Amino acid sequence: MARIFDRDTLLDLTVNVIPLGIILFFVVAFVLVDPFGGLDFYGRVLQMGLLVFPFVALAILTYVSGKAIAGDEKRSPVFFQGQATMEGAQTRHEAEADIEAADEAAAAATAEAEAEAEADATDDDADPDTTDEE
Amino acid sequence: METTGQLLLTVLMGAFLLGVAAFLARVEDWRSYTPLGAGGGAVGESGYGHAEKPAGLIRWFTTVDHKDIGLLYGLYATIAFVVGGLMVMLMRAELTTPATDVLGSATFYNSLLTSHGITMLFLFGTPIIAAFANYLVPLIIGADDMAFPRINAIAFWLLPPAALLIWAGFFPIPEVIPAQTAWTMYTPLSAGVGNGNQMNVGVDLMLLGLHLSGVSATMGAINFIATIFTERAEEVTWANLDIFSWTILTQSGLILFAFPLLGSALVMLLLDRNFATTFFAVEGGGPILWQHLFWFFGHPEVYILVLPPMGIVSYVLPRFSGRKLFGFKFVVYSTLAIGVLSFGVWAHHMFATGIDPRLRASFMAVSLAIAIPSAVKTFNWITTMWNGKLRLTAPMLFCIGFVSNFIIGGVTGVFLASIPVDLVLHDTYYVVGHFHYIVMGAITFAGMAGIYYWFPLVTGRWYQRTLAKAHFWLWMIGTNVTFFAMVLLGYGGMPRRYATFLPQFATLHQIATLGAFMLLVGGVIWVYNIYVSWIEGPHVQSGDPWRLDETSLNTAEWDWFDAKRETSLAATDGGEEVKADGGEVVDGAPADDAADDE
Repeated sequence: MARIFDRDTLLDLTVNVIPLGIILFFVVAFVLVDPFGGLDFYGRVLQMGLLVFPFVALAILTYVSGKAIAGDEKRSPVFFQGQATMEGAQTRHEAEADIEAADEAAAAATAEAEAEAEADATDDDADPDTTDEE
Repeated sequence: METTGQLLLTVLMGAFLLGVAAFLARVEDWRSYTPLGAGGGAVGESGYGHAEKPAGLIRWFTTVDHKDIGLLYGLYATIAFVVGGLMVMLMRAELTTPATDVLGSATFYNSLLTSHGITMLFLFGTPIIAAFANYLVPLIIGADDMAFPRINAIAFWLLPPAALLIWAGFFPIPEVIPAQTAWTMYTPLSAGVGNGNQMNVGVDLMLLGLHLSGVSATMGAINFIATIFTERAEEVTWANLDIFSWTILTQSGLILFAFPLLGSALVMLLLDRNFATTFFAVEGGGPILWQHLFWFFGHPEVYILVLPPMGIVSYVLPRFSGRKLFGFKFVVYSTLAIGVLSFGVWAHHMFATGIDPRLRASFMAVSLAIAIPSAVKTFNWITTMWNGKLRLTAPMLFCIGFVSNFIIGGVTGVFLASIPVDLVLHDTYYVVGHFHYIVMGAITFAGMAGIYYWFPLVTGRWYQRTLAKAHFWLWMIGTNVTFFAMVLLGYGGMPRRYATFLPQFATLHQIATLGAFMLLVGGVIWVYNIYVSWIEGPHVQSGDPWRLDETSLNTAEWDWFDAKRETSLAATDGGEEVKADGGEVVDGAPADDAADDE
């Protein structure tokens, strides 16, 4: 349970938490402010029911779908949409690893270039070992 | 004498039945293509040439192949779209002058208005989505076919009689007139009460036709739910299900809960009309009961129509942005959220009916909440395009048009969710402008994006690129001219559903009609382009005509297309394929390549 609903999954689910929050806001607002207090109690029950029912239904569906989707993500390889049945398709994990590797290579290249520039600028103070390495 | 006549009739009938039996025996060995026969899935192989299918019309009348049924749905929806479109062109022509100078009859205008709405929503909107879903969902999720191929065929074949019943009043049948109830069929008018002419059998036929289309949609929905739940390939876990299939799954869930309710309400209305029950009579359940039942179906229907087009855009737009869909799971969860919340907002169509103000407040709250998931999707589409490598192909243009029009249609809708604003704008052209931005500007645009995107997949040919772009621009400008004029008319206080109007509204009405004629021209170009390209368009030169592999954005249905091409090139009995191979030499570049440079 806790394993499925980790930080990433909870972040994904925030998209449904916002409408839940809006409904909750109105529930509280209608409890605190009731300009139609003189009317019958039955209507009041309906008013609250019309907010509570979608709230509960959405909360349940969000939980169930979150569990199904995040659970499958943990259990089996994740592909990009529409690619799962394709031969030789890259999994999301592999794609992310590639991007990270590319980023790291780029970062390393940048760092190297920067170091070189620095070395050029401060040529006089340059550590001879570093210069040799370059 | 009488006996001789009867004898003759009997003999004739016998001969006729014998003839039918002989014909059926000749055309096909019927047992040869049970869908599960011959070791699991004749249908899976059916794309590889059509040697196992009967030829000609018999193929189309007897098919249980999901792709064939998808094409039938597409043809059906196209015919309905043309009919509904021509109806509204008559209406827009009528509205060029304040009096009923063009049609000469407000009654006929009301008939067109009713039929236009029902035709576009039930006979075009739902079927065109079913066309995409039938053709593509099994291919994308790796299923052999739909879970229930025969039910699939039945669901489609219920639709032509539904259309005939809905349009019955327009046919030259004595004593039958078209319904003039508007698509919402509000009682007491639709119950035939009073001195009007709505007790006519034409209204009953329309209600029965609607009921039939609802049965069809429900059967289709059950089929999609079963297919997506049970027929997915092993690798297609819930985490790997594509966004289009998610939207179809959600839509099918909505249909499952909404359409049976419409069916029940229609039966109650028919009973009120023909058997003197009092479900919607003032002394019985009351006319407001109809509105509650109708909109409990009617509002989810809005999302039944818009969710799959959103799925198409979420699926197609990233392919031409050179990147993956931004926030894929946000889009999935927000689709599900819309599905649930859509059942909690129905009475925002009824703010002006005088229902309990506390109930109105609750419906307003949920209506505001449901705007969030839609907005989330919009931001995801925009973010997907942001800094992307856009290719402005025809399907991409329609996707961008969708997003643009959806923003205007959506924002005008958020205002209507607010009770005080709604009380001012209710039943004005503002509402008409708002929902047409959605149904025409968004839903139909997404449908066109899908048609152009998958045209090479279905036909193996290219459409004419210039015509497709002309179509887009005529529609993009036409949609905004027509429906923005309607928004302004609504601000001015022009009420809906009138054949006549005050002279002060004439200019904006004429502008709206001008826009509608642009839509007509665009529509003619579209039909011409699709028809001609299908017959003689240049063949695509690879299994990846959109060059999706370059950006690692290729998907399963194009993989299937690639395999099908290779197989049919290898086979010598490819039937239709061979004939087309004799065509002209084709430039190898995809038709929309040049757009890259734009």
